[in-house]
Amino acid sequence: MLSLPETRFDFCGDEYIFAQITNDMSAESNFKAIAITNELRRRNIPGIIEIYPANASYLVRYDPEVLSPFSLLDYLKEIDITKSDESELNMKCKIVEIPIWYDDPVTKEYSIRFNERNKEITESNFDFVMKLNGFKDKDRFIDAHSKVPHLITMLGFTPGTAWTYPLGIPREEIIRAPKYTSPRTQTPKLAIGIGGAFSVIYPTQSPGSYQLIGMSAVPVYEHQQRLEAFKDSIFLASPGDLWKYRTIDESEYRSITKEVEDGTYRYKMKDVHFSAEEYIRKEEKYLSELMEDF
Amino acid sequence: MIEPGFIATIQDGGRNGYYHLGVPPCGAADKLSFQIGNLLLGNPPFSAGLEITLAGPTVVFEKSTVITVTGAPANVTLNGKQMAMWEVFKVKKGDALSISYSTEAIGVFTYMCVSGGITVPEILGSRSTYTLGDFGGFLSRKLENGDAVPISEPLPGAFNRVGKSVENPYIPSFSNKVDVHAVMGVSGNEISDEGITKFLNNEWEVKLESNRVAYRFDGETIPYKDYEPPFGSGNSAGGVVDFAYPIGAILVPNTEEVILLLNDATVGGGFVMAGTVISPDLSYLAQARPGSSVRFHAVTVQQATQLRLEQKKQLNDLVEQLQ
Repeated sequence: MLSLPETRFDFCGDEYIFAQITNDMSAESNFKAIAITNELRRRNIPGIIEIYPANASYLVRYDPEVLSPFSLLDYLKEIDITKSDESELNMKCKIVEIPIWYDDPVTKEYSIRFNERNKEITESNFDFVMKLNGFKDKDRFIDAHSKVPHLITMLGFTPGTAWTYPLGIPREEIIRAPKYTSPRTQTPKLAIGIGGAFSVIYPTQSPGSYQLIGMSAVPVYEHQQRLEAFKDSIFLASPGDLWKYRTIDESEYRSITKEVEDGTYRYKMKDVHFSAEEYIRKEEKYLSELMEDF
Repeated sequence: MIEPGFIATIQDGGRNGYYHLGVPPCGAADKLSFQIGNLLLGNPPFSAGLEITLAGPTVVFEKSTVITVTGAPANVTLNGKQMAMWEVFKVKKGDALSISYSTEAIGVFTYMCVSGGITVPEILGSRSTYTLGDFGGFLSRKLENGDAVPISEPLPGAFNRVGKSVENPYIPSFSNKVDVHAVMGVSGNEISDEGITKFLNNEWEVKLESNRVAYRFDGETIPYKDYEPPFGSGNSAGGVVDFAYPIGAILVPNTEEVILLLNDATVGGGFVMAGTVISPDLSYLAQARPGSSVRFHAVTVQQATQLRLEQKKQLNDLVEQLQ
């Protein structure tokens, strides 16, 4: 069994139950959130309206006129205990490559423009996060951010926003950043930001409070469904997917964005079966097997 | 649409099943008034209608049909003639309907429902406009001058309903002093007991920067507990590991401010949460204008369900009366 403390449940108003697996972040907590919500979805319970896995928690919305809150609570507690067995934590997912132009002029400009909302930081967000995490060298910092696969731990904020959390490195090596003290009113579309232990790509221009470190050359949300990758869903990410960031320079950024515009871009993608059990047991070794031919 | 007013959007009962992908439910902010409008017309309760915010539109009809206006009290005229709210009336091709407000009016959202509903295409199972996500409603945006919004043919028997109206006890009353119920919990580890007591024992003023995404409030300070920010939260007070917010969530992002999430909410984030306002009260809360004061009352989940069923029973009684 996973060595996680007991999940804490709360009623939220008359329609929601919130389950907090742990109050801090870990891949294990997220595996459990995904496994339990997948199981709940499979059971197709009448009266359940939304099933929402989050980073280290999950939220269930129900119709109290169909389903008693207390019966649902007991039911969730039972699934929570029986599905905490790590051998149950297996999921089908896909690995997707996301090309990033790190330390680009656009996010640099935004970080300077909004720096009064950011604890009076005078340098760019990129330089701030790099130094905060003990890096002096830009390439080493980029390498540290892009070398390991990131797990999609949660979707939300605005449609298609995916929280991604690095796998296969010890907690103390995970790149972290504080959020803005007051959110930016604007974030450029497809900027990548870091907040807490998470990296996020903003699907559309929106507010935001994560530190901006670069630009994704490829979209993560496309409701016109022009690109091949969006044929089945308008969202690129699903919880449990793995994203691999790859550093690109300006000229490659320009050529990829051109392909995206033309509707011809093909994402580098691979379907895999991810075993949380094997990851927990072998960590880095398991990931390198998984990523071998990618 | 010849004059859109401040904000007019198309809304229905909302969009369910896509929340975990970042798509909030949207839908009418005051679901109670909106449903009553549809029930008056004999429509399904969540047929799409027009949601009007704070300053009214003028619309011209291109076919004869049957409509009603409900929600925040407004001055309703048809070709310059005063019309009653909460009552079904007929409009003819070429008629101009104007909705306006006096400066001391109470309430935020007025609804115009039409027989059979507004028939813009459904996106992800709903016709509701979601401007932040750039989809739904009429071209994903608030209405503008010259927009031609498609409406249904009048339903069978629609014209027989002309003159039907809602009796006083069934008309929701809005006020500048609003009382709502909340089930408390979730971030008990971060907010101090003193903070929760202060939250419940004081009035909260609705701030100007409130909208369908969230209402912001000014009031007392809410002290946090002296806690260690958990790993992954970004290491600041008021921060937790990002999670999914329920609609009605009472967020306390710093000790000075309270934010309440409504139908167009950003669906997840990392601020501590004191509790959740119950769904039947969100209609009344959404109708609280900037400057209004709101009191929050703690209830158990049993009481929350009871209050929900009472509202539902009222609506059922109304349906019977309108037969």
